[in-house]
Amino acid sequence: MVIAFLRTILLYTFIIIGIRLMGKRQVGELEPSELVLALLIADLAAVPMQDFGIPLLTGLIPILTLLCLTMALSVLTMKSVRFRAVLCGRPSVIVENGRLRQAEMRKNRFTLDELMEELRMKGITDLSAVKYAILETNGQISVLLYAAQQPVTAGQMDLAPPEPGLPVVLINDGRVIQRSLRSRGLNEAWLEKQLERHHIKSTREVFLLTVDEENTVYLAKKEAGA
Amino acid sequence: MKRLWIAIALLGAIFAGTLLHVHSLHGFTDTLGSLLEQAQAQAEAEDWTQAHALTVQAQEAWAERDVYLHVLLRHGDTDAIYAGFRETLALLDSREYGEYAASNARLLTQIELLYEAEQLTLKNIF
Repeated sequence: MVIAFLRTILLYTFIIIGIRLMGKRQVGELEPSELVLALLIADLAAVPMQDFGIPLLTGLIPILTLLCLTMALSVLTMKSVRFRAVLCGRPSVIVENGRLRQAEMRKNRFTLDELMEELRMKGITDLSAVKYAILETNGQISVLLYAAQQPVTAGQMDLAPPEPGLPVVLINDGRVIQRSLRSRGLNEAWLEKQLERHHIKSTREVFLLTVDEENTVYLAKKEAGA
Repeated sequence: MKRLWIAIALLGAIFAGTLLHVHSLHGFTDTLGSLLEQAQAQAEAEDWTQAHALTVQAQEAWAERDVYLHVLLRHGDTDAIYAGFRETLALLDSREYGEYAASNARLLTQIELLYEAEQLTLKNIF
């Protein structure tokens, strides 16, 4: 068992270093330590599950060890910026003032095709419109356009559009969500009135009813036979 | 920070528990080995009754920790040792020293290997 414990620590460290060396693009949306945990934990659980000749502890001890290591690493990454940089890396600026930083792209093994694909996915086709493109530590690209290329906001136009806030679901597939109703300061009488306005007799006929902070109601009736 | 200390404490507890298991296994396999070696010495001196009694004592010691060993060791290894005891006892009954000695040596090796496989050495880790 002590061999399984030490092997788990060694392999975990080794795979984290491997993932870090592979670069940010391989990480996806997880931190290296979380990715390694996801990669290893399923296999560790599957082996004693399938092979009855192996004690369950052979799987449980490495899994518990991995969970403890991940917990320790996640606390250390929160506490120490330097440790976080070592474990997760630092963001890389790959486009600066519309110019590609080719050395940075090579360092991150990030191809031009990948960059163009990411930009297209964000609706950007002209590289010269990009002020900064940053390859984040989780492998995602953040893009900041030149101020002249950014959409005009209501604030810039001195407009004060209404703020409807977050709509809350009050009826979900015929069921009234009482907690949401109370949280908005509404009651059954108000709900009845809304149903009457839409010529509906019972809440059971409603598929979805939402209300925003300005009490604007969206109602979808249940389809016949649903 | 509390979570960090909990994680470190758990890791320490697992490490200590596994070391304790190795230590306990060492003592246990040594005891079994010593009993089986004494049994073989008695058999060599033609004292078959005493040799049988010592082997049965070793088998009972093994059976007493059967659950513990089954939970912590590969079932194939523990089953092989159980079968080894049965074979050795049968050969003791037949009083065929040559075959008994070979079977006892095989059993001793299997028991020694149990500890060696769990021993904290670089050879085992890598």
